Amino acid sequence: MRSAAQKWLHGLSNTKPDELDVKELLSCYDIATPAGLRLGPNDSVAIRNMQPPYVVKVCSGDILHKTDQGGVRLNVQPDRLENTITEMRAKFPGVSVLVEEHVHVSGSELIVGGLVDQEFGTAVMVGAGGILTELYQDVTFRLAPCSAEEARRMLSDLQIAPLFSGYRGLNLDADLLAKTVAAISRMVIDLGDVFSQLDINPLGWVNNKWMALDAKLVLNSKV
Amino acid sequence: MDRSASRMPTRSDSDWGEWPLAKLFRPRAIAVVGATSKPGKVGRIVFDLLRRTERPVYPVHPTQKTLLGHDVIPRVEDLPEGVDVAVITVNAGQAVQAAADCGHKGIPFIIVVAGGFSEVGAEGRILEDKLRAVVATTGSRILGPNSLGIFVPRERIDTIFVEHGDRALAGGGGVAFITQSGSVGTEGLGVASNIGFGLRAFVGLGNKVDLNELDFLRYFGDDDRTNCIMLYMENFSDGRAFLEIAGQVSRKKPVVVLKAGRTAAGAAAASSHTGRLAGSDRVVSGAFRQFCIQRVFDEEQLCDAARVLAGAPLPRGPRVAVISSGGGYGVMAADYIESRRQRTRLQMAHLSPDTEAKLRAIVPGFASVANPVDLTASATDEMTGDTLRIVTADDGVDAVICVALFAPPGISDALVAHTAAVAADVDKPIVVVGQFGPFTDGLLRRFYDNGVIGYPCVARAVRAVRTLVERAEFVHTMEGTP
Repeated sequence: MRSAAQKWLHGLSNTKPDELDVKELLSCYDIATPAGLRLGPNDSVAIRNMQPPYVVKVCSGDILHKTDQGGVRLNVQPDRLENTITEMRAKFPGVSVLVEEHVHVSGSELIVGGLVDQEFGTAVMVGAGGILTELYQDVTFRLAPCSAEEARRMLSDLQIAPLFSGYRGLNLDADLLAKTVAAISRMVIDLGDVFSQLDINPLGWVNNKWMALDAKLVLNSKV
Repeated sequence: MDRSASRMPTRSDSDWGEWPLAKLFRPRAIAVVGATSKPGKVGRIVFDLLRRTERPVYPVHPTQKTLLGHDVIPRVEDLPEGVDVAVITVNAGQAVQAAADCGHKGIPFIIVVAGGFSEVGAEGRILEDKLRAVVATTGSRILGPNSLGIFVPRERIDTIFVEHGDRALAGGGGVAFITQSGSVGTEGLGVASNIGFGLRAFVGLGNKVDLNELDFLRYFGDDDRTNCIMLYMENFSDGRAFLEIAGQVSRKKPVVVLKAGRTAAGAAAASSHTGRLAGSDRVVSGAFRQFCIQRVFDEEQLCDAARVLAGAPLPRGPRVAVISSGGGYGVMAADYIESRRQRTRLQMAHLSPDTEAKLRAIVPGFASVANPVDLTASATDEMTGDTLRIVTADDGVDAVICVALFAPPGISDALVAHTAAVAADVDKPIVVVGQFGPFTDGLLRRFYDNGVIGYPCVARAVRAVRTLVERAEFVHTMEGTP
């Protein structure tokens, strides 16, 4: 039987999935993502079933560092939505735009990632996320796939471990996070040889579930 | 040839198990190819070392007639039957032919000492291919090239031609040491042996054209006399297989690995946060934890970890009591114990009121009976022993660090016996910090010979307890996973 990841790969039009493609893959592995809509360069702006405020992002598998290039606008109110999209299209002509609900994260942002280590093979990572993730360097790895129990032990490797035991009244669910990490470790294995690198950053605690707010997946060019 | 007789395991054969590799560690006879009377030559040193073993050792050299009173055999093909190990001490260029000769002779294990193979470039790689061909065509197994070979104190087999604390290690023990670097292996072992180190076997892997870390890991994993396996590795022949096998072995005995050579290339090419955060090395740490393999970062940590894992019982938890006759040492130890920077956390134990009352009855009035217990300069051998006994009996104490200073007038050499008597009776680890000026190594050796693990400073003693607690955590994790 083909895995969900293999089916997803089969439906992919090229080897550079955009953010929404990756979030669709995550959904197959029961990982929550914000409600969102991709608008092609010429699509009219018709937003339904989404709660304001919004996030507007440039949506292309070719643009890997969209924040650095001014490709992300947060907290966009409905009356500013059309203008914001127009500005984004002017900045990135001919490129799609992703409109999502702007969700509120409780506690700090995490990162979950994956890569292929030359010596040991495919590995999964979890740690302190957000734009300063490389400054914190508070991450830990395991080989994939890894069990939820092993993922739970990963969390105790971290400096931010107290976040999962009531630090400052936070109630971030460690067991659900461990399940999420285990599911992602399964997903990167299911992708097979084409898998190269994955960043889910940030992953946040939103309305009592772990949600992937941004995701980037790099595949090897030969699918 | 009827092999049934030679396959019948004798009592002493079974000491080394039934694996084919047993013959490497307990050969019937050994040949030294390139044995020579020229002083300082590898062939001379190796032959001289091997003469100590109680089995025939044959020197092989084309022109030499006698060597240290032994008749020299001119060619490999002239060797008598029963040679299970050939140590080839000639240079890389000649070693390939010598290995082929040994292979055709049917010698099951060939150790190639010479360097000058793949580590020097393309020509060397061609020579290694020729060694692989010997394995493929004759079925003989090759250790090396560029290998120091093996050192087996129990069998008095030693092919290590460089200085390596051989006499200090001669007592033997339970640690199997598999090393990819000769110098790290021997220097680390030499220093460790000065304060007592129990070696089951040393294996220098060298360039691994044939036998590699997986073969020896499996072998020592099954060997009943090995109670700890330590490895120095620069690259794994098969990283995933190493983890799987080491993870299985770790269910039976601790596996400690010094993985050197962090590659930055992969990290530089990464386009993701994950790739840059990995820097290749964090994956190693995570994978080791996942498979319950203990990681260390230098040769001192490697030897320190192996000593304590092989020689002390495991603690049931992270609560440490400290006993000293010098308050400052107790305070330092407490600081190290409470340090939050390490992943494996230790805690200062809270002594029970009952324990404190018992201590109060035997220590001087001005001594501190709270943890860290300070016996002051009025400490005596007996008082230290009694204190150890009382503190280890406290249910709130999982491990004890005992600072043995020899400055107090009431402390003598008998402290070693008092400490050892308690250590022998209790199933909690007691780790000693021993300092005695220039006599420190000798003191720690006496502790070791009496079954007590000691280190010459507080930091290393605390680290050793941390190593034990980490091992205990791994054992606990493995008990919960099939």
